[in-house]
Amino acid sequence: MIRINSLSRRFGSFEAVKNVSLEVPAGSFMVLVGPSGCGKSTMLRMLAGLETPTRGTIEFNGKTVSDGDGNWTIEPAKRNAGLVFQSYALWPHMTVAGNVDWPLKVAGQGKQERADRVREVLNLLGIENLGNRFPNEISGGQQQRVAIARMIAPRPGILLFDEPLSNLDAKLRVEMRSELLRIHRATSATSVYVTHDQVEAMTMASHVAVLNEGRIEQFGSPSELVAEPSSAFVATFVGTPPANLVDADLIPPGHPLRKGNRTGRLMFRPEDISVCSGPGPASIEMDFAEISPLAGRSMITGTKNGLRLTAVTDGDFRFSVGDKVHFLLPLQPAACFDNEGKRV
Amino acid sequence: MTSNLLWPRGRALAGRPGIAIKLAALGIVTLLVALPLLKILAFTFSDEATGTWHEVLFSRLSYNLFWGPLQNTMLLGFATAAGCVIIGGFLAWLVAMTDIPFRRTIGLMATLPFMIPSFATALAWGSLFRNSRVGGHVGFIEGLGFAVPDWLAWGMAPTLIVLIAHYYSLAFTVIVAALATINSDLVEAAQLAGARRSRILAGIVLPVVLPAVVAAGSLTFASAVSNFAVPALLGLPVRMQTLATRLFGMIGIGQTARGYVLAILLILVSAVFLWLGNRMISGRRSYATVTGKGGRSKRFQLGASRYPLFAVAFVICFLTTIVPVVILFASSLAPSSSALFSDWNLHYWIGRSNAAIAQGQPGIWHNPGILSATAITVGLGVAVAITTTAVGLLVAFVLARYRDSIISAAINQLTLVPLLVPGIAFGAAYIALFGAGFGPVPALYGTFILLVIAATAYLLPFSVQTGRAVIQQVSGDLDESARMTGAGTLRRLAAITMPLAARGLASGALIVFVKIIRDLSLVVLLFTPAMPLLSVLAYRYASEGFPQFANAITVVVLVISIAATLFANRLQSKSQPWLKD
Repeated sequence: MIRINSLSRRFGSFEAVKNVSLEVPAGSFMVLVGPSGCGKSTMLRMLAGLETPTRGTIEFNGKTVSDGDGNWTIEPAKRNAGLVFQSYALWPHMTVAGNVDWPLKVAGQGKQERADRVREVLNLLGIENLGNRFPNEISGGQQQRVAIARMIAPRPGILLFDEPLSNLDAKLRVEMRSELLRIHRATSATSVYVTHDQVEAMTMASHVAVLNEGRIEQFGSPSELVAEPSSAFVATFVGTPPANLVDADLIPPGHPLRKGNRTGRLMFRPEDISVCSGPGPASIEMDFAEISPLAGRSMITGTKNGLRLTAVTDGDFRFSVGDKVHFLLPLQPAACFDNEGKRV
Repeated sequence: MTSNLLWPRGRALAGRPGIAIKLAALGIVTLLVALPLLKILAFTFSDEATGTWHEVLFSRLSYNLFWGPLQNTMLLGFATAAGCVIIGGFLAWLVAMTDIPFRRTIGLMATLPFMIPSFATALAWGSLFRNSRVGGHVGFIEGLGFAVPDWLAWGMAPTLIVLIAHYYSLAFTVIVAALATINSDLVEAAQLAGARRSRILAGIVLPVVLPAVVAAGSLTFASAVSNFAVPALLGLPVRMQTLATRLFGMIGIGQTARGYVLAILLILVSAVFLWLGNRMISGRRSYATVTGKGGRSKRFQLGASRYPLFAVAFVICFLTTIVPVVILFASSLAPSSSALFSDWNLHYWIGRSNAAIAQGQPGIWHNPGILSATAITVGLGVAVAITTTAVGLLVAFVLARYRDSIISAAINQLTLVPLLVPGIAFGAAYIALFGAGFGPVPALYGTFILLVIAATAYLLPFSVQTGRAVIQQVSGDLDESARMTGAGTLRRLAAITMPLAARGLASGALIVFVKIIRDLSLVVLLFTPAMPLLSVLAYRYASEGFPQFANAITVVVLVISIAATLFANRLQSKSQPWLKD
């Protein structure tokens, strides 16, 4: 179990993490997701014990490991957590087996015990034949596996991942997602995973915390986030493709939603928007931007004056640059947000 | 929570990170750099030295003590800086920007003179141009039957020429690095604008490299005013004094208070000009960052002047690298320096004592003084290589790890101070501090330890720079991932940082070794007969009229330097199998 209570971290006058509180049960896979600079890596480093919080506390399994108010933190190695760095941070002068072995050696384990454990985790990661290679002699995906093997070898109760897949190519990234989940289950540890890629968050997490400017925008399961985004930021950040937000005064005059004095922004899901062949009183005319096939349907995007609309719809469309696209909004929005981005 | 009260093992208080290691680094740096300098300053204002400042600056003696040597020193400083910038800049331009033939060879040769100790070049000059003015052997030129005028044999002119021949490679190194960053697009844009070659040089190239030129000028100035060996060997015999030689003389005859005052004044002269140079540059924007892709740089076409310019460049390089070494070598084999290339034998190397030659001095192979000096010199080089590496790493680690703290800022400033202090003045400060014991520290004068400490302090700016480069190389992630395993600082240093940094450390330690075994100015005051060093022995022999011994010893120094370089290169390539691709 991880419990974070009113956690803040300040660097000089810049507050990277602002008053974050959340709790996940043991065995969960929590993803911290947000745009770059949102404070997610600082969060992870505080969890790892590499940074001390300015305020607030962190508890692992009921035991306080960092206390910003008391200004102390338990050393990284003594908090039962392991970390995979974005750069993997493999020690280039040690072999693959050496990299996995060294933390066990530091922990004071016996030779035979270490050898068994190294073999075990290399097997678990499917890299048992790479033990004698140096990190510069193996591929990026293999380096990634070594970094994970090194982390799990001492059997930490908490696994921390700092954007571990960002250096891999697209195909490998998809493979490693399920690989990571398999490892997570095999170790029955609690995982915290930092990424800026909402697809990773949606596909892997049991719990997602969406961070923006140091604050938690929303904390919940992936389906909750997509179904009930609590802010305009979350609405446009999660989902593939993410939902559309339209200012109330941009709704076409002939549309039923125009009735009444609505303000704020309305959320429409791409699958609820349709594309019509010609202009109509209720349609929005936009410049064609792009079209791509998506699981047997078409994803069409248009832009106009900073507004961007994406529709996922059936039908065979032919557009080229310079064409106009006419989008038809559904009768009801999926959600409404006020001008500050709060759900109403 | 109860655990809050118990402070279990493994909990780190975060409020004062690394205070112990910071204080340790500050303590070392203070002891090495600040204390000796403060001590020498305090001494000149103590009762023992009452009136010394007045004596040196404003009495009837002061022209001889200070103002005369100051004039010579400034003249040498400015003329050397001008000469070095012109010659070094000219060669740098040829190598970096033109289509001169054998560019790489010239580029390599132009960096070599700085590797040869300046006393070697001065000794070589003496072997060639000595005349009978001060008695003793005459040089090769007089031996051939030509009369060498006094001005060419002794005093200002030869001192200046040898200093320029030695330090121009420093200016070359600085300027060629700046020229190499000039994007050929800059030059091509000027060509498209219709500018002629001279206009491009004056309007584009020179302004862009001006900071480097100023840096080269102030560095060579400071080096020239700090140099002891060259004016001592070529100027002192005709009583031409610089601040460095005057300081040496004062300490030598026991006038330590005057010597210390001169040391402080010498530091001021050197530091003020380095500071001025730095100020001139630091206001300017750095142009070096404006690069982009750059592509293959297009070179100035020298046309018909290609080979004449090559000849000039080659002659400069040849005269300042190969000629001095050949002369030294030949002179150590020739019985008489007036006939360098005849009757070669090995007497000065392996000869037994023979009353007919050099007042019965045996060759260096049978000379116990020289043999023990060789052992002590090499030992000193090794010891200092180890201590500087350790101190440099520690300080660089503290500076990298705890950037924003007052202590770090103080450490940073202190480590740069030795750059401003001429070696001989540093030596004087060390005598002032350790000549007599203080506190728990016993008197260290004449001990090996004092030489090690002084050399460590003297090379601190260099070793910290090496340490920083090394620490940057080992990225933060690698160390943090080791920290995650629970390994302590020392263990991480030994298992992660050190192996990764071995290459950088080895080359840094090697350069320190070579710098120390060929240094004269720092050790010339700290030397005692019980603790002889090769460079000081060479200087002694030369000033007592045995140039061949001096030359033979200098050849030994050169051979050790070169061997050390080759050895380390070999060692490096074998020690890191994980770097092979």
